[in-house]
This record gives sequence, structure tokens and C-alpha cells, in this order.
Amino acid sequence: MLRVDGLQKRFGGLAAVQDLSFQVEAGEIFAIIGPNGAGKTTTLNMISGLLAPTAGRIELAGRDITEATSAERCHAGLGRAFQVVQPFPEMTVEENVMVGALYGKEGTPYAEARRRAEEALERSGLSALRAVPAEELTLLQEKRLEIARALATDPRVLLLDEVMAGLRPAEARLAVDLVREVRDRGVTVVFIEHVMPVVRDLADRVLVMDYGRPLASGSYRQVTADPRVVEAYLGRDDEEDEA
Amino acid sequence: MRRALPDLLWTLLLAVAVALAPTVLRALFAQASVSYLSIAANAISLAILALSWDLLARTGQLSLAHAAFYGAGAYSAAILAKVSGLPLVLGLPLAALVAALLALGLGSVTLRLKGIYFAIATLAFTEVLKAVVQELPTGLAGGSAGLNVPPLFRPHFVPGVMQRWEIAFQRNEAYFYVYGGLLVLAVVVSIVTQRTRLRAAFTAVRTNEEVAAVMGVRPARAKLLAFVLSSALVGMLGALEAMRLGSVIPDGTFAISTTVFALVTPIFGGLYTTLGPILGAGVLSAVEETLRRTFAEGYLIGYGVVLVASILFMPRGIVGLFTRLARRRSAPSASDTEEAG
Amino acid sequence: MDLTLLAQGLVSGVLAAGLYALVSVGLALAIGVIGVINFAHGEFFMIGAFLAYQLFVSLGFDPLLSLIFVAPALFVIGAVIYQTTIRYVLEAPELNQMLLTFGLSIVLQNLALVIWGGDPRSISGVPYRSVGYQIGGISIGLVPLGSFLISLVLVLALYAVLARSKLGRAMRAVAQNRIGASLVGLEVNRIYLVAFALSALLAGIGGVMIAVIQSPTPTVGFAFTLKAFAIVVLAGLGNIRGILWASLAVAVSESLVATLVPNGDALRNAVFFAIIFVVLVVRARRTA
Repeated sequence: MLRVDGLQKRFGGLAAVQDLSFQVEAGEIFAIIGPNGAGKTTTLNMISGLLAPTAGRIELAGRDITEATSAERCHAGLGRAFQVVQPFPEMTVEENVMVGALYGKEGTPYAEARRRAEEALERSGLSALRAVPAEELTLLQEKRLEIARALATDPRVLLLDEVMAGLRPAEARLAVDLVREVRDRGVTVVFIEHVMPVVRDLADRVLVMDYGRPLASGSYRQVTADPRVVEAYLGRDDEEDEA
Repeated sequence: MRRALPDLLWTLLLAVAVALAPTVLRALFAQASVSYLSIAANAISLAILALSWDLLARTGQLSLAHAAFYGAGAYSAAILAKVSGLPLVLGLPLAALVAALLALGLGSVTLRLKGIYFAIATLAFTEVLKAVVQELPTGLAGGSAGLNVPPLFRPHFVPGVMQRWEIAFQRNEAYFYVYGGLLVLAVVVSIVTQRTRLRAAFTAVRTNEEVAAVMGVRPARAKLLAFVLSSALVGMLGALEAMRLGSVIPDGTFAISTTVFALVTPIFGGLYTTLGPILGAGVLSAVEETLRRTFAEGYLIGYGVVLVASILFMPRGIVGLFTRLARRRSAPSASDTEEAG
Repeated sequence: MDLTLLAQGLVSGVLAAGLYALVSVGLALAIGVIGVINFAHGEFFMIGAFLAYQLFVSLGFDPLLSLIFVAPALFVIGAVIYQTTIRYVLEAPELNQMLLTFGLSIVLQNLALVIWGGDPRSISGVPYRSVGYQIGGISIGLVPLGSFLISLVLVLALYAVLARSKLGRAMRAVAQNRIGASLVGLEVNRIYLVAFALSALLAGIGGVMIAVIQSPTPTVGFAFTLKAFAIVVLAGLGNIRGILWASLAVAVSESLVATLVPNGDALRNAVFFAIIFVVLVVRARRTA
């Protein structure tokens, strides 16, 4: 469903991502983990078209999207929720989701967009909050909005960037349930995460990155047993400097 | 489009008001109505300026090039009159076309510019365009002395039947109708972008272009559409004003004050709405007129003070003030969230 | 091509760049340190010019002498304006700041219009006004040279203040991180006040000099505001060092066109802004 080949991103002399290749099968929940600065968000940015790779290829459902704009990728079925939530603050929850519903696919009639928005609101549990301006939401609500908005674009693949950050355990459990539900309805999920229990519970397969390169991949059990992975996480200064 | 219906009904009402206004004014004020019509036309002109600028601002493009499109439209009509025998009224659609094409060009090259960078680039464009027009062959565009523009309406005097002032009245009345028509058009465009899916696209692009793109909105398309619509409207206004004034001249027609009024008015009235620019135009015109009549000299000082005071006490414009009052009254439990700006 | 003419154009351009840089640097302070889009900046320039004129006409003050009075006067005026109006729109959207400062600009321009009238006022009785030097066929006016030197000194002094002094460090800290700066105890509002007053002062000094070179009218300020904005944007927001280069680039180009191209003087503005436009557009393309 999603395929990345030889992806590379250089900033001047620094290679933020190198030799990255992986494949995600339809209906999988695929996790990308790794220490800070491993290049995970850079990778996601390249996949969603916000950053142009220096080399490599990205394919979505067999279609080459390496040169496509972000909007085109969305139309092709790529949805994304951001790590630092980016709602449209002046609009209500409903209006926010409608942006995704109306423009997620080209030429969506208004009625159908409404329907999709309704569904997305319900799936993320935001129906009651539909008229609230986005700037008044709590963090968990904002995260749900991120996902709802992405869902409204009717994605085939959903990219999630550290959605669990800042959530309390109870909230995180709710978010995990939501992601599972999303997958159960046929969406492939690729997510970046630091919170290991979430990765353990959700991921079908895991890819570990370090210093911009793929380090190991496999099931959660396999990668956490891998000594190289352990060293990558523990054998370094543990600075949690996330935004 | 269904949601636009109530607003479109109001617009119909506006159109009717415009249609009836001259007759009413004449009945009430006789000779004085001549100058009232002129003042009203000025207010309408300001409203069109404001509406068109606001349209563009909805996509986050803060343009200082409004005068450029105004001037381009004005000159299109002027040159049309000079070199061709075609009826002057064709100057209006021509102005729209020329302005739209210019906007397409400018908009395309400035797509990546944001905020003040975009503003300065558009300002620079205006200055360069002014100079280009000035340097065009004098036979075509009149150089720095400008061109005369024939009037759109030449009412004829019927002695014995009409009083003298009625010529002026007929002339002002005719112009008023055209201004009013353009206003209705501007209002319709503003409503359509406010009540259809375009609002979602414009607001998304304005708030965060990258996120909008990831949601499937095409930022370039939205921005260019807004630019073209906005410029076509103000281009037509420029042409109309040139016809009413009777001349175009580089310094005056491309004056920065046009841009300043275009941006000051919607902020004063309330951005990103249709009512805001119209209210702003009405109030500011009234304020200016009143100040002018009260203090002959230096009345603009008061005008400036009004502007300064308005932004300090009504940061979201007139419309924003009412919205805030309404919200506070209807939902007292809703948090006292700090409304930015 | 007449080399002498070329050289003349170059020299005149360099000399003019000084004044542009002085006014622009002041604006850059306002935008960079305080974060306010000040469209009234040029009015400080205009006030400086008219104050110098008035001092000359009423008290016979030589413009150089009047600098001693005009500078602090502008500092105070800037401080007052900041404290009564600017301070309240710091957090507001840019458009609000623009509206406020446009309003201020209208007030100040028209105040000047009422007080001094619309006719150009020049300090024409100054003895050294027409003094000039001839070096190899190139004429250099004493006044343009003097204002260039004064401007250069002031701009470099500002650089030094920003880079080394306590105040300068405080200003840079506040420019980069307002909340962080206040957390470490910097009195942010006072720093803003000083920065704004300083920007007014710099512009005012420029105004004194223009009063001797040209004959300013109340609207001269706004034209300089626009050019200053263009230069600040050309140098890149936050790049105060770049302002000297940007000013040089546009002033020299302006001057070259005015000197070498027939009827070039009318094209001055166009050249200035054409450069700005092209650079902005090309630069945006490069950061793809």
C-alpha cells in the first residue's frame, strides 16, 4: 500500500535520512520508532509532501507520488495528523473537519462531504463538540480533531505523528482504541511513537530508525530484543527535547 | 449554495435600495440631492475597494497592490477610449480582464511569499507598473500628464422643461446606478466566497497553507482565484472612477492612498466578512464627511485619530465588536478565552 | 559610455545610501526587536526635518546644532507614541498594527500640514549648503557627504550597541524570545520602549539632514517609510547587518539609472522597487 525506496534527505552536508526503504501492507498498523533526531518526522514529512527528498521514491498503492504535491497525495489517499496539533483556530470543530471532507477528494459534492464529516466526527467522539471553536479545545480534543480531520479526507493510509505525546494514560488508551477502530475500517496506519506500551499494543510491525537510517524491523518483540536497538536507545544521552 | 440564500435575499434588498435611492433622495432634498448622490457614490466606491481587498485578505494575501489594479483598470478604459471607437462602457469588462490577467501574473510569481514579504513585493509591483505606464508612448497613454477620459453619460439639457441642476442630477444618478451595480456584484462575490466551500479553502489557506495542502486544498488555486476576483472588481472600479473623474494620470490613478483606504476600511469594519467592509465604508465615509464639514482644515487629523482609536478599542472591527457582545450574552459559561487581536 | 558619468552616478548613489540605511535601520529595530509593523516610521523622519527647519527659521540654528535638540525630542516623541498606542497592539495581528500606524501617520502628516502648510520648506540659508568638491571630474557635495558620514557613523554605532552593550544584548534577547527574556527578568516593555524611541531618534536625525539636502513637505515621510520597508525586507527580516548592503545596492542602482539613462530621474522609484521585486521573487523560488 505504501512503499518507500532508497529515501534520502540531506540538509547541506548533513544526511537527516539515508537509505531508507520499507513497505507497509494494506490494513497494517506500522510503527516507526527510534531515538530523538533519528529522522522519523523528516521521513513522515517527505511522505506527506512537505519536504522534498534528495533521493528516493515513494509509492502509494502502486502509484509514484514522489513528485506529487501534498494536495495531490491527499487526493490519492494519504491522510496525516500532525504532532504539534494544527487546527484552524478560527473555525469550529465541524468546520475544521469539513475542510478535510470537502477537499480531501476532488469534486466532492456538499452532501457527501457532510456525511463524511459526520462520520469522522462520530468516530473520533467529537459530535458533541461540533460547534466549539477549535481554539477552545483541550489537548486530547485537539488530537481527536487532528485525526477526525484526516479521516474526513477518506484516506487509505493515515500518517500519525506522535499523537500520544502529552496524553494521560487514560486518554492514551482512548486514542489507541480510536486508532484500532480506524484500522478495522480498512485504513492502513503508519505512526511515529515514543510511548512504547502504545507501540507494543498497536503495532503489527515496527521499524527502528537511528541516525537517519533503518536499524531493524520486525515485530515489536523482535526489535526490542535486538541488541543494536537497545544500544541505540540506551547508549546515548537521554534528552527528551520534544516540542 | 443553499446556505447563501438568506444573504442573497439581503443582496436583493440592497439592489432594490440602490435602485430607489436616487428617486427618494431627489424627492426629499431636491437640488441638494445632487451632492448627496455624489457622496453616496464615493461611499459605494470605498465599499467596493474594501470588499475586494477583504476578498484577497481571506487567503492571507495582504496586498499593497490594490492601487495597481485600480490603475490598470482605469487606464484600460482610458486607452480604449483613446484608440478605438468602441463604446466606452466596454471599458468596464476590459478593465476586469486586464486586471485579472495582471493578477494572475503577479499572483503566480508571489505564491511563495508570505506576510510582509508579499506585501512589499506587491507594493513594488505597483510602483513599477506606475512607471511603466508613465513611460508608455505619450500617444497611447499620455505619459506623466495622463489622458482625458470621455464621460460615460452625457445627459442633455432640455430648456424650459428641466431645471439646470437636473442635468447634474441625471448625471450623478446614472453613475450612482452603475456604482450600485458594481457594489451588488462585489457583494455577491463576497457572499459566494463566504457561504460556499470556498470559505473553508480560503480560511484554511490563510491559517496554515501547509496543513491545508495536506488536507487536500490546493493553496495555489485558492490564492490565485481570490487574487483574480479581487483584482477584477477593483479594476472595474478604477475604470468607472476614471470615467466619472474624466481623466487618468499616473501619480493620481496609482496613488498609494487608494491601497491605504482599501485596507484600512475592512479592518475597521471587520475582516473576512461581507458586512464589515460595507459598514466600514459607510461609517468612515460619514466620519470623513462630518469631520470635513466641522473642521475645514486639518480634519484629517481627526480622521487619523478615529482610526487609531478604533483599532485600540475594536480590534476586530465593528462586526467583531457585535459578535463579541452577542457571544458574551448567549454563552456566559463559555470560557473567557482571550480573543487574540 | 562616459566613465566620469558612471563614476558620478556611483558616488552619488553611495552617498545617498547612507540616509536610506539610517532610516531603514531604525525601522528594522522596530520590526525586529519589538515586532511591530510601523507604517508611521517615516513620520519621525518628517518631524525631524520640520523641527530642524523651524529651529533654523525661528532661532537661526544651524542644522548640525539643531541635531542636539531634535534627537532627544524625537526620542521623547517616539517614547510617548509607544507608550500611548503601539504598546497595545504588540500582540495583535499584523493588519491591526498596520491600521494603527497608518492612522498615526495620517495624524502626524496632517498635523504638520496644518502647522507648516503644504509647501516645501527648505533650510536654504545655510552657508555650506552649496559647497562641493571636485575630484577628478566628479562633484561631491559637502552636505551629501556629511550626511553619509553621519549616517554611517550612527548605523555602525547601532551595530556596536546591539552587539556589545548590555542594552543591545537585552534587545537581541527580547527579539528572539520574548517570553524567555521576561522569565530571566528582563523588563521587556522598557526595552521595547527604548528600542522604539531609538528608532524614532534615528529617523529624526535622517530628517534633519534631508531638510538641508532637499525641500521636504509633510508627505516626504511616507515615501521614505515605503522605501525603508523595502530595504528591510530586502535585507531580510532580522538581518540588520544586511541593511547597509541592501541600501547600497538600491541607492546605487537608483543613482546610476538617474545619471546614465535619459529621463532617468523619473525612473528612480521604479528602479528601486523593481530591484526589490525581482530579488524577493527570485529568493522565494530558491527556498523551494
